[in-house]
Amino acid sequence: MYAKGVIRTLMAGTAAVVSLGIATNTASAQAPGPAGTAAGTSVTNTAQASYSVNGVQQSATSNTTSFVVDRKVNLTVIANQPNNTQVAIGQTAAVTTFKVTNNTNGTQDFLLSSSQTPITNLFTGDNFDVTNIHIYVDSNGNGTYDAGTDTVTYINELGADQSAVVFIVADIPNNQANALAGITLIAQVAAGGDTAAQGLPLAASVAPNDDAVVDVVFADNDSDGLGGDVALNGQGRASLGYEITTRNVALSVAKSQLVLNDPVNLALSPKAIPGAVVQYCLIVNNGTVGTPASNVVLTDVIPANTTYVTNSLSIGAIALGNTCLLTGIVGGVPLADDGSVTVPVLNYTGSFNTNTKTVNATIPVLLGGTSVAATFRVTIN
Amino acid sequence: MITRPMIAAVLAATAAAASAAAGPLQVTSSILVESRAAAADGTTRIALVKPSKVTPGDKVIFVLAYRNTGTQPLSNVVLDNPLPRQIAYRSANPGSPAPDVSVDGKTFGSLATLRVRSLDGSTRPASPNDVTSVRWRLASPLAAGSQGQFAFQAVLK
Repeated sequence: MYAKGVIRTLMAGTAAVVSLGIATNTASAQAPGPAGTAAGTSVTNTAQASYSVNGVQQSATSNTTSFVVDRKVNLTVIANQPNNTQVAIGQTAAVTTFKVTNNTNGTQDFLLSSSQTPITNLFTGDNFDVTNIHIYVDSNGNGTYDAGTDTVTYINELGADQSAVVFIVADIPNNQANALAGITLIAQVAAGGDTAAQGLPLAASVAPNDDAVVDVVFADNDSDGLGGDVALNGQGRASLGYEITTRNVALSVAKSQLVLNDPVNLALSPKAIPGAVVQYCLIVNNGTVGTPASNVVLTDVIPANTTYVTNSLSIGAIALGNTCLLTGIVGGVPLADDGSVTVPVLNYTGSFNTNTKTVNATIPVLLGGTSVAATFRVTIN
Repeated sequence: MITRPMIAAVLAATAAAASAAAGPLQVTSSILVESRAAAADGTTRIALVKPSKVTPGDKVIFVLAYRNTGTQPLSNVVLDNPLPRQIAYRSANPGSPAPDVSVDGKTFGSLATLRVRSLDGSTRPASPNDVTSVRWRLASPLAAGSQGQFAFQAVLK
């Protein structure tokens, strides 16, 4: 259109003597957030010129040129709790909490789905799937799942740089072998604009561009780096686990008795006559192999017409089946009636309450498939 | 290696909407973006194209072309481009003289001479993000029929 003209040299440096230009930072109040200028904004430029002709000052204005800011689609999905959700076998409506942030330069809907496909390296020991999965948005914004209140199943009209908390609510199957279930929340950026319904998933614009149209450009990264997510697909995901920490074990207690001696026959074929010493043997067994039982507490009220033999309680006796193999004080570690003795390492404790005539013994950890015996003695009145 | 085509060649195709200003000085504003493509010789060729797909953080190039369409020389020519508020100034485009810049629209100078007052009353050196307007002055009169252009790079906020 025109031949290349001569670019004039500037009056470089002539402005160096002017005073400092001082501007306050008020412009930042209008600055867009991290997501940037909103999609659909028309950026318009016009230049001004001034000049003089034969000493007469004149001015000119350029054409106005503009372009439309396109939609840079991005999102962040994170687990919104520090650890896995601890659950019990058979628990219903167990909750995992996530947070979805809209990093798009526009208001979007987000469609929510879940996956239980095991992700390599993320959950070792994932051995079951949760059931009856529901995904709900934190409607009242309190960060906690409220059944019946948080009922919306997609994120509606989330503004740029805004976040929403999302809950996955699921049931834990009643299977004693369950240990860990990994679950992944997948959020898909969808069109905003309809406050009453969820929008359609966005698709990247592939057609040749038009300056006047808001194109969709996916800018989301690979959020897990493990092959579950891929970059530039408008999806983000995060994973959490349902971890079984409370489960039932097959706990059983067997009680047996043995007359140790009597005043007449002494220890030789003793009979249960007044004055005889009887030893009771309590054997607690955890029949669930592989699952320890915590804080097993044995309590036993001594029989009527008997008197507890002071400091006769011992724990850790060797047991075979339902019988304490060894009798007498060698049948375990003696405990003090006031509870002041703790068995080293195993941390067994026990006591006798003279008011309630109750024997107590506590076993902090009873490993699966093992038994622990406790014994105490009484005399027949 | 990156080769850079002459801007004027691209402008010839994009400045079709030149203003029909009445005065002798015709000023045409264009906004362009870089399009990178691999050339046959293995280099990357950057072409300036229409700003069809622009998202926050992208680089945009503003070009001001001027031309004396009259019959008399024009003196004291000053081209002033207030920045759209969605645009953050970066630098002069390679090949274009550097503009004087302003952070308040009144005082112009090189960026290094400007300071910005913070909310607490202290001042700090101005950064390219603070620039609100750019300006070029022609040192000598613009002869009848001659023309030229300036360009600067910016990013979309």
